[in-house]
Amino acid sequence: MKRKQNLTTSLITILLMIILVIYLLPLVLMVTNSFKSYGEVMLNALSLPEAFTFDNFKKVFETMDYPKAFFNTFVITLIGVSGIIVMGSMAGYKLARTKTKLSKYVFLYCIMPMMIPFQSFMITLVQVSKGMHLTNSVLGITVVYWGLGAPMAIFLYQGFAKSIPLELEEAAIIDGCNQFQLFTQIIFPLLKSVTAAVIVVNAMWVWNDFLLPLLVLGTDKKNQTLQLAAYSFMGQYKMEWQNIMGAAILIIIPALIIYLIFQKHIIKGMIAGAVKG
Amino acid sequence: MNKTTFKKFSSLLQFFVYTSPAIIAITAFVGIPFLTTINYSFRSWNGIDKVSTFVGLKNYIRLFTDDQAFIHAIVFTFIYAFFVVIFVNILALLCAQLLESKIRGKGIFRTAFYLPNIISLVVIGFIWKFICTRVFDQLATATSISFFELSWLGDPKLAVATVIFISVWQGLGFYMVIYIAGLQSVPEDIGEAAMIDGASSFRKFFKITLPMIMPSISFCMFYSVANSMKMFDLIFSLTGGGPGGATTPMALDIYNTAFGKQMMGYGTAKSVILFIIVAAISVIQINFFKNKEVES
Repeated sequence: MKRKQNLTTSLITILLMIILVIYLLPLVLMVTNSFKSYGEVMLNALSLPEAFTFDNFKKVFETMDYPKAFFNTFVITLIGVSGIIVMGSMAGYKLARTKTKLSKYVFLYCIMPMMIPFQSFMITLVQVSKGMHLTNSVLGITVVYWGLGAPMAIFLYQGFAKSIPLELEEAAIIDGCNQFQLFTQIIFPLLKSVTAAVIVVNAMWVWNDFLLPLLVLGTDKKNQTLQLAAYSFMGQYKMEWQNIMGAAILIIIPALIIYLIFQKHIIKGMIAGAVKG
Repeated sequence: MNKTTFKKFSSLLQFFVYTSPAIIAITAFVGIPFLTTINYSFRSWNGIDKVSTFVGLKNYIRLFTDDQAFIHAIVFTFIYAFFVVIFVNILALLCAQLLESKIRGKGIFRTAFYLPNIISLVVIGFIWKFICTRVFDQLATATSISFFELSWLGDPKLAVATVIFISVWQGLGFYMVIYIAGLQSVPEDIGEAAMIDGASSFRKFFKITLPMIMPSISFCMFYSVANSMKMFDLIFSLTGGGPGGATTPMALDIYNTAFGKQMMGYGTAKSVILFIIVAAISVIQINFFKNKEVES
């Protein structure tokens, strides 16, 4: 019996390994071809590179102004996600604690946008952002992300804040905490598991987002995010696959490093965000 | 002012201090745009002029009677969503089940399967464009297997299949992780009891595991449907909606109408239709799974 079980598990392992190799083959091809010269890609895209060349990366790095694009994406993600956390935790906590009719309606209003697809209001969103002078600006787009990301954050924070015992707050008040201290020093630290989920879900979204930057950041190169830079680079160097694969790798690397370091938290955060949301 | 009204007033004030930043941001970037979308859908407007003219239902009538491209986009979106939702959920559940059997190196498998999920869809589009053109080309010459000779992005029907395949490939890891979490929450003793009572593992899966992971299934269905109905990035970089509009989803058609042809009023009418379709599907799904979860 035990032997039979061992055999099945090894069979499953082998099966999974085969599936995995096929599954990741496209990414392997991306890596190998990024080290090849144009001629070699055209001649043989499947083999390993004969002579490793870093010329592709150098060219991509300079042409798409990688440091600038990286910095922009970083700033947008950092400020965007921070704003979502501040707004989401404050509103989510207060909405969980206030048991009035008004609070119920405000909560419904705040989470309603989760049901509205972004593409169904993007046209007028561009107009509104233009009217508020938020377009063509790296800082401007972060403010737009606050509005788009807040609903789900509020939903997650509200759900969790309900479970914090009231006695804790009363004790803190008796000890001389004011409302502001109560929130920043007692409540917010208690919400940290939600905060982790909100960071993961929103950082992945903002970092990889393409449509909103395309719509509001304009064509000016100094505002480009990594995704926009990748798109315009890849459009410009059509068919020069060795460069395009190099660009793909440079775009993926920051996310990959973060993923490999924090993967347990990331997967946990994704699940928490998903199951509660 | 007496004490109780003061207290009421102060707690109301506090309520707004905490909630107003979010309320303002949501109103500015979702509330107002959404309401103006509905307003403009009854108007003709190019987005540049300050003035727009009221045209009543003209935009909506045109959409359904005189716009082959939009009708096709709706049909494509439904076909795409249908197949992606079915395949991604079944395959993800299958992989999750395999990973949950007692094998070694679970963590590595999970990490690896999740990998495509951290890559943006724009980049995914370019990687696969390379595979479908350059790599397949060379495989065709090297092996002369007819599979590789087909024009996977150039033929309208094949392009649809390609787009569906790539979406499933990219999304698989995410749904698999959710299903693994669901499977782990199923207590082992129930399954063991069923096995002792003589249930086959097939039966055990359908009668015990499946009902127990209904919350995961309902989430994954919900999320995959919503995501498929809204898809944009992958198509934008992989096929650009082509060949001949064969792979243009609703979101891309809206984008082209509004920002390519500068028909903002008409584009907003299409946006409203997208919203209605997504909202209707959501309501149907919520009701469907509500019943299921009560049963289990």
